[in-house]
Amino acid sequence: MLIALNWLKKYVDLSGVGTDELIRLIGARLVEVEGVVDQRKKYENIFVVKVVSAEKIPDTHLTLCKIDDAGVAKKISRGEDRLIQVMCGAPNVRAGMLAVWIAPGAVVPASVNEDAPFVIGTRKMLGKYESHGMLAGADELDFGNEHKTIAEISPDDAKAGMPFGQLFGLEDIILEIENKSLTHRPDTFGIIGFAREVAGILGQKFETPEWLMDFGEKDFATENVDLKIKLADGDICPRYTALIMEGKGDKKGRYLGEIETLLARSGMRPVSPLVDMTNYLMLLTGQPLHAFDYDKLVAVGGRGGPEIIVRLAKQGEELELLDGKMIKLVSSDIVITSSDRPIALAGAMGGKNTEIDENTRKIIVESATFSLYNLRKTQMVHGIFSEAITRFTKGQPAGQTLPVVKEFAGLLAGDMRSLGLVDEWVDGQKNDVVKVAVEQVNGLLGTEYSSELVMGTLERVGFEVAGGDFLENGAGAGPSLRAAAMSSSHPSLRIAKSPKSSSPATSLAVTVPYWRTDIRIPEDIIEEVGRINGYDNILSRVPLHGTAAANELFVLKARVREVLAGAGANELLTYSFIHGDLMRKVGQDVKNSYRVVNSISPDLQYVRQQIVPSLLVKAAENLKDGFGEFGVFEMNQVFRRDLGMDEEDVPILGNNLAFVYAARERKSCFYRAKKYLMYLARRLGVELRLEQVMGKGLPQYEAFYEPRRSAKVMVGDEWVGVIGEVKKSVAHELKLPDGTAMFEVGMNTLIGKIDSLEKSFKTSQYPSVERDITVVAKSGVSYEKVEGRIAKLLGDQELMYKITPTAIYQAENSDEQKVSFHLEFADKQKTLANEEIQRIMGLLEQ
Amino acid sequence: MITEMERLKGELKALNAEYGKIKDVPAEKRGEFGRELNVRKQEILGKMAELESEVLNAEVESLDVTAPMGVNEGISELLTADNGSKHPLMVEMDRIIEIYRSMGFEAVESRQLDDEFHMFDSLNFEKGHPARDGYDTFRTEEGLIPPAHTSTMQYRVLKANRHKLEKGEAIATVVPGRVFRNEDVDATHEHTFYQCEGVYVSETCTLGDMLGILREFFEKYYGQKLDIRTQPGYFPFTEPSLEFLIEKPKTLGGKKGDYLEMLGCGMIHPNVLKIAGIDPEKYHGFAWGGGVDRLVMLKYGLDDVRNFEAGRLSFLREF
Repeated sequence: MLIALNWLKKYVDLSGVGTDELIRLIGARLVEVEGVVDQRKKYENIFVVKVVSAEKIPDTHLTLCKIDDAGVAKKISRGEDRLIQVMCGAPNVRAGMLAVWIAPGAVVPASVNEDAPFVIGTRKMLGKYESHGMLAGADELDFGNEHKTIAEISPDDAKAGMPFGQLFGLEDIILEIENKSLTHRPDTFGIIGFAREVAGILGQKFETPEWLMDFGEKDFATENVDLKIKLADGDICPRYTALIMEGKGDKKGRYLGEIETLLARSGMRPVSPLVDMTNYLMLLTGQPLHAFDYDKLVAVGGRGGPEIIVRLAKQGEELELLDGKMIKLVSSDIVITSSDRPIALAGAMGGKNTEIDENTRKIIVESATFSLYNLRKTQMVHGIFSEAITRFTKGQPAGQTLPVVKEFAGLLAGDMRSLGLVDEWVDGQKNDVVKVAVEQVNGLLGTEYSSELVMGTLERVGFEVAGGDFLENGAGAGPSLRAAAMSSSHPSLRIAKSPKSSSPATSLAVTVPYWRTDIRIPEDIIEEVGRINGYDNILSRVPLHGTAAANELFVLKARVREVLAGAGANELLTYSFIHGDLMRKVGQDVKNSYRVVNSISPDLQYVRQQIVPSLLVKAAENLKDGFGEFGVFEMNQVFRRDLGMDEEDVPILGNNLAFVYAARERKSCFYRAKKYLMYLARRLGVELRLEQVMGKGLPQYEAFYEPRRSAKVMVGDEWVGVIGEVKKSVAHELKLPDGTAMFEVGMNTLIGKIDSLEKSFKTSQYPSVERDITVVAKSGVSYEKVEGRIAKLLGDQELMYKITPTAIYQAENSDEQKVSFHLEFADKQKTLANEEIQRIMGLLEQ
Repeated sequence: MITEMERLKGELKALNAEYGKIKDVPAEKRGEFGRELNVRKQEILGKMAELESEVLNAEVESLDVTAPMGVNEGISELLTADNGSKHPLMVEMDRIIEIYRSMGFEAVESRQLDDEFHMFDSLNFEKGHPARDGYDTFRTEEGLIPPAHTSTMQYRVLKANRHKLEKGEAIATVVPGRVFRNEDVDATHEHTFYQCEGVYVSETCTLGDMLGILREFFEKYYGQKLDIRTQPGYFPFTEPSLEFLIEKPKTLGGKKGDYLEMLGCGMIHPNVLKIAGIDPEKYHGFAWGGGVDRLVMLKYGLDDVRNFEAGRLSFLREF
């Protein structure tokens, strides 16, 4: 939304505040100002001039003009009569008119934001006529698309020699407002509502224009109007006000008007006087208006009319919009109909069949409110994002439809005659009264505001406040407090202000003005008080507190991170969503994944069941990038449909740790991955066991592990994950080397087991002996058995020992493996004698 | 095996030939005819792929999972510590959690798959309200939501800790986690990013306390005194709602008058407390939530948010 400061100034006194400070205050207390466009130099060296003579040049469309600039232009060649010669191609140029002249050297205003702004000069035309500068059309001045004619200025507005920028406050500063944080504030989508807030912030009492508070229907013949209005449902259209006027067609006026320039400064293109007036009032008040051609409306409706019926659309009903597009309506759309035949898509756009044009004699001006929920769907379904629907979807208050349409009639009174007005309002006005204790305000904000300050703040922006002590005990007065938001019918019921007394009011009854549809509870009032006085003026303090208990999952993750990164591995983060193709490549069942229906791309369509597949993809990419050998890991959440829902009826989540070891030059990475897993377990103090996977013993979500080269990871009897090599077929699909290995374990089970490993390592006080030994075993006998046998033998001898494997060797074509160990052992009671050592080694070598 | 493959190939060839017959099928039945052929074709192709991978996987020898190293492979070693790295986002997240912990806040991780109730309903978003559109949420077939903000955990935090209030203690919890928004990715936008939420409820806390806590956090995080600022904001689940800004810290090259928008915050809406079973007459609280990615980018001078989830070692090993 764009706010022109010169327009704002018409409603609030900005004389006491600098522009920078104003922008800072608006940012701190109302809404973020995204940008500021300074247009004060946009119309430099452009003047209002009088065309003194205009001489048609035969056989051309050109006119040679002499213009009077009252001598204000500098360094320009003038005739003896002090006039300036300029050629003009527009058909409406004529002697005696006031026009807008762009002096040589000035930039065409419409081009100021272009890469190469267009600079006007002096040139010779038709070989003999000097032409200085140019007479500008509305398009060149940046007020619309009209380019056939030049702009004409009314002698009531200016005289020759006036700098054009001084006309209509064109030397302006435009604020670009971030709409999003005003979603709940329909009133600020109009200049008046915005000005009201600015006044409140600046400490001024805002006076809402009287016409916006005038709810009477006098001066309008409502009796004999030939139009009926039927609202099918007060929820979809609570109020519909229609004004009927008679005029002489919607033709462009002769003079450039201030309204056109205000629309342009607010980012809207001027179209025609009637349309411009509807838009002007929308920008001013937030209330969109729409004009129908009365006769066309009657014709569309056929016999029995005219009757406007507002209802939900029928699915598939068709309507041609003003922009020529034929649309199929959906059942959530609201349509305006003439005797049930659609003539407009409510809130969004009028229909072609009732468009006003140059021949329009009678018009119906619609001023209504619609359900913002329906219009929001309309916006999405039909992709219409006009200024009007933007305002409607904020929920414009029903209270303003009548005052705004009456102002429309008043502003056009010179050109058109009001024939009458019909107003259908399902519920009628209700003004909420919200009660709030001053103590409650200060208790929530942490302030010490007096009741006078609180009352004054609210009154500045149009709330009516009565002080008293009707909330016993101030804040926290029990249920009555919250039930205090009640309704009174407008305007008769008003809580009278209590007579000024010596003791300040402890509680306030705040009557909410009709334009504040967002205010319902005491907290809403408290927000107003805090915001308008500036949150930055609230003293910040820190409540006392001690150190909190640590979260076990985060502690575990931090330790895993420390251990694995310290051991040369790299932590990755990858997306939680993956491509269905990746799941198929690794053998997972896409049906076991939650599927995102509005994903950005197929790459992100499925919620992943495991982290390893994502890491495998990244491993392949990093190998391709030239990294020859690495270990990568990620800790993240995973979900599977077969796990079902938890007690909150949301999917059960897994907290997994995944690790992948890849190497370009290695046949198998299994034992590397295992090294990391066992190292991590030791550092975490968890005892892990690996169990060979038998047959096809893994579920489908782990289908990418080669079962003959994988193991289940066990903590006690609990299966916590899998370690293994990737299947050849999967490696092939993902362009990974065979033998790439990985593990993925659930961390929830680990949490309880951390540091459970008994550290009962005792050393003997007697010297230990170190020996190397190689044991021969039939291939097929597991390493575990071989090492177990040695451990048992040493244990049986009452020795303290440490066994470190150093090599496993198998010759080609042999069915025997040689397993070498480095042993350290010592006796608990004595120094081992040589003979004793010989005897033990003898036992081991058998 | 080979013969099985050849049999499948033959079947496929025969099926392909059948496609030619489509012109003899009456026009209204062609669609069905074509669909049927496609289904059968997919079946055969599927069987062929399965067979192919079986062949590929058939030659695999099993290995001894109890061994510490492979046969003839030598001792398995860890990589050198030099190469190791922690993810910068996670390092900062750990730090944030630790600072809040020292300030009395427990931590709980945000869920990555949640529902409409937690994401919107419990946070006082009216059904069908346009405010829901602002979050550009993803949705699954079942209507589940990968959350667009960590506020999705507020209801759970309030409910799980409300017993503390009766004991006169405050609820003080932060919720770090991964969130998602359906938006196109560029150097400054990611559909996947991290936030940290904060929730505080007690009998006496005020908006001034909230500003104090946030200031303390950022001063600890940047290790210097900071000027703070606010802007009015709008969130259906807080009232009043604010945007919180800090003066750009000197360590980040900040000059006087530079401010950074850090997070959204506000006093928890009474309806949110009520839904979670906390009496809003008696207790009030405040909550905040802000992005973590930007903190990290500012800290390390990074200019492309896409690096975080790209998984490239050339980037990650810098940390």
